[in-house]
Amino acid sequence: MIERELTVSNRLGLHARATAKLVQLLSAYRSTTTLTAKGREVNAKSIMGVMLLAAGQGTQVKLRCEGEDEAATVEAVCALFERRFDEDS
Amino acid sequence: MRQEFKGLGASRGSALGRARVRLPHALEVAEEHIPESQVEAERARLQRAIDTVRTEMHALRQRLHGALAHEIGEFLDLHALLLDDPELLQGLDTLIRTGRYTADYALRLQRDRIAAVFAGMDDPYLRSRIDDIDQVVGRIHAALHSRENGASGVAGEILITDNVAPAELAQLQAQGVVAIVTAAGSTLSHSAILARSLHLPLVVGMPGVLLRVNDGDALVVDGGSGLVVVEPGPQDLRAHRGREREYIRERKELHRLRREPTRTVDGIDINLYANAESREDVAEAHALGATGIGLYRTEFLFLQRAELPDEEEQFRAYRDVVLGMSGRPVTIRTLDLGADKADRTGLVLRDEPNPALGLRGVRLSLARSALLETQLRALLRASGYGPLRILVPMVTSREEIREVRSQMKRIARELRTQGHEIADHVPLGAMIEVPAAAIALPGFIGSIDFLSIGTNDLVQYLLAADRNNEALSDLYTPLHPAVLRLLRDVIRLAHARRKPVAMCGEMAGDALYAPLLLALGLTEFSLHPGTLLELRRVIRECDLTALRGRLPLLMRARDRAGIEAWIESHRPNA
Repeated sequence: MIERELTVSNRLGLHARATAKLVQLLSAYRSTTTLTAKGREVNAKSIMGVMLLAAGQGTQVKLRCEGEDEAATVEAVCALFERRFDEDS
Repeated sequence: MRQEFKGLGASRGSALGRARVRLPHALEVAEEHIPESQVEAERARLQRAIDTVRTEMHALRQRLHGALAHEIGEFLDLHALLLDDPELLQGLDTLIRTGRYTADYALRLQRDRIAAVFAGMDDPYLRSRIDDIDQVVGRIHAALHSRENGASGVAGEILITDNVAPAELAQLQAQGVVAIVTAAGSTLSHSAILARSLHLPLVVGMPGVLLRVNDGDALVVDGGSGLVVVEPGPQDLRAHRGREREYIRERKELHRLRREPTRTVDGIDINLYANAESREDVAEAHALGATGIGLYRTEFLFLQRAELPDEEEQFRAYRDVVLGMSGRPVTIRTLDLGADKADRTGLVLRDEPNPALGLRGVRLSLARSALLETQLRALLRASGYGPLRILVPMVTSREEIREVRSQMKRIARELRTQGHEIADHVPLGAMIEVPAAAIALPGFIGSIDFLSIGTNDLVQYLLAADRNNEALSDLYTPLHPAVLRLLRDVIRLAHARRKPVAMCGEMAGDALYAPLLLALGLTEFSLHPGTLLELRRVIRECDLTALRGRLPLLMRARDRAGIEAWIESHRPNA
């Protein structure tokens, strides 16, 4: 299992479009992946779950990955967060 | 008993059908339990409804085109993902299996639980995203009911609702909805623009319509005049059929307009150029009698690929556009990439804190001089095949345009020495899409040969309202006195200095804005070929002299409502 602390740095936070990107990205990986913020843990492959975190800009989230491709999964998710979800302006 | 109501006609066309009233949060479902023996059947019913919605959304995605297609497509993709969401599906399944609720009530309960969490969010933008959930839940709900009634969706129905989101419109049309009437809304909203491009009749601004019309009422809706008749009589039906015939005649007429000039009632010729980014667009523009290509985007050569296009590849692409227009002028824009566009070439910096204010457009071209050089060489070589103009995006200062021009001169000399035949003069123009360029124009208009106003970015920067942020969709509008003033000044100055000025943003392509733009002095429009004939038709009904005379009244409007009122009173065919 791998854990990482991440910061939501895109301007609109984990809103629908950013969440959709995350879920689409994760659909290519087999690991069980969760995000935890504000004491709530959700399935990172659920757009609804992630949106319910209400993680606005600046929120700290904990990423947890478990499975055969966990290293690659973590790397891909971290890169997406660093790219600020490729968000338009 | 016959009743008649008047709203604002937002998208033309006449429709006859039964009303389907959608109350806000339309899930007014009673709590209902099912016996254990029906649980499996109920789960299957829900699954069928979800599958139906998924198929519909997929079909819809394929049909989208035009100005808002990209934006709408993103929302459809998002909604499609929600349909597969493990949390949503498991939650519903548990409610049906262990709570023994009907699928309808499970849907409502699940929606309310989610809504409660959203309602508690601090961030107003995130809080408003319950709309996405509501739209998807609403669709599943509708699909559940069409199965139950054995009816084929809502075909032939007229939707009566509080408001309608752009992302829903194409879906509703695909389901067979023949017209929409909303209590709120504006004729100039994104939804209205999209309804017009879908040719779906829409009447907006009828407060109280939800109370006055009942489910199942027979209605006649005229999206042109905004007239809605409940329980229509023989005369109303005749009027409806007359309008239908008129509409068919108009479509034919529109087709005939391919060969007609774009001339106003008082005999002034207006230039309609086409925006294009593919061979098909260029062929269509040619067939529709466009004055030329007003904006040819070159980004597609650079996007979705891992290596940069070389000079030969670019040259062939630009030459084909020039040849494709057989002598009519072609304006090609230099690379307009920025961090807001995904690319795989690695050209764009990914970690810019604010990409809209970052290294994009001409800034990127100047920062990567080899890139600009290759593109200019290809463009200048293509200029040997017909009239070509070069347009530079995101210009904010005289220095940027001077830098591009000096490179152009140097490259032209080199190309001639190498034996290439290139045009004696290739006009160089600037996109006016940053307020600084518009305001400082008197200082650098002497350095450019022509201008093209990019309203999409100009409005965004002038009003400090991100056009991709739905929370600001009311703020992001060209109908702001500051926008009109700036447009008037830019057009006026260009005319005084005898420099051609066109508009290539989305504003130029919507027929509703045409009288306003003509009043502001615009005589060159560049727009998607798909809307060219419609704009030609409207311009042929406009009296330019009269509209110019009404400019002072327009400029006295102090807010959006005042500007909308002006547009409303100058609608052709109103």
